[in-house]
Amino acid sequence: MNCRECHDFIDAYIDNELDVATAILVKQHLRDCSQCQQLLESRKVVGALLKNPQVPFEVPDSLRGKIQSALPPAASTAKHGSGRRSAIAWFSVPLALAAAFAVVLGLVFLYQGATIDRSRGNALANEVMSSHLRSLLATHLLDVPSTDQHTVKPWFDGKLKFSPPVQDFSEHGFRLIGGRLDYLNGREVAALVYQRNKHIINLFIWPSESGGSTAGQSFVKDGFNVLHWEHDGFEFWAVSDVNAVDLRAFASLEMQQP
Amino acid sequence: MNDEQTRAHFEALMLPLMNDAYNLARWLMKNQEDAEDQVQESYLRAFRFFASFQGTNFRAWLLRIVRNTCYSALGARKLREKEVPLEEESDEIEDHSPLPPVSLARKATVEAVREAIAALPVEFREAVVLREIEGLSYKEISQVTEVPIGTVMSRLARARHQLYLMLADRKERDQL
Repeated sequence: MNCRECHDFIDAYIDNELDVATAILVKQHLRDCSQCQQLLESRKVVGALLKNPQVPFEVPDSLRGKIQSALPPAASTAKHGSGRRSAIAWFSVPLALAAAFAVVLGLVFLYQGATIDRSRGNALANEVMSSHLRSLLATHLLDVPSTDQHTVKPWFDGKLKFSPPVQDFSEHGFRLIGGRLDYLNGREVAALVYQRNKHIINLFIWPSESGGSTAGQSFVKDGFNVLHWEHDGFEFWAVSDVNAVDLRAFASLEMQQP
Repeated sequence: MNDEQTRAHFEALMLPLMNDAYNLARWLMKNQEDAEDQVQESYLRAFRFFASFQGTNFRAWLLRIVRNTCYSALGARKLREKEVPLEEESDEIEDHSPLPPVSLARKATVEAVREAIAALPVEFREAVVLREIEGLSYKEISQVTEVPIGTVMSRLARARHQLYLMLADRKERDQL
């Protein structure tokens, strides 16, 4: 690879958008070329400046209410009068969520002609996803905000009857940002929260019944990717709006752990 | 689904994306008031087409609507005519808010970064905001901005290069 090609590919290289073979060529060129190393450095400087969490703008608090009152009212809510509707708008979000997922669940049960396993998986996938959405909406994302796995793991002790595996994958672009207790599948579970760029990944963990390991089962629901696997005696459910490739990468990191 | 369910479904899926929508609009419109108006307008448009949306990536879909809504508001044609020359764009920024004298220029880095992004031509600005601030993949950026991935890549490269020059400049000036 020459310098010109390296220039063309350097951004895709930084952004992990290159195929492995080309990435290796870029890496080799960078090792031997100090000019291109400087280019890489300049990109890193800019990247670090842009990654400052204060750079994005805060959404004005009033915007959500404005949007909700601008949306055309549903036929049945219109009867109550618009004043009352906007007054309860904030509180109705969890209700709206519950309603939405009740519908999705209902459809799943109506149309699931497949095996019991698959429909159980689907129902759980829905539960997992609605929990993910709740965690993002209700500002109850974290009970223990910490990027340190040695803080997060002991926090679960005494709160759960099991000790979930907790790993930080910052090096691979999946930063542990904390954990919380959640309730899923009729039991208390550990929820670990990871961040991938601006995306949140919820990872739900509880002991599996079989105690074995199974390969991933994936679901796509309304733009969210849900992945399920069992490993080392635990059930794992990961859900996020990151793309499916990233979520699988995340899952395989988790599975590589001892 | 009846109206009420559609609305509940819409709110559950789309309202969590408000942060992303607002940031893109804020960077494109360059002020809070216009950004809020365009986000509101975008949500109305999104609601209208929600039932017929066939894809799965709601975020990219919403951002594409936000982007198009903002472009209409800005007058897309005028924008395209004005394409590129960075000097011109920077001059325009200075017209609106003249830079303080050197001794007063010790602003927070955050502000310097924001000003530098705002000074980029709109095509570069949206590429860098979608990538660095919204965390979109190249493919998603190409969907949102309706250009091939190769163009996304070269816009990002130029955006980052210009940002570096501007911020490196700024750093020197601040150190005087």
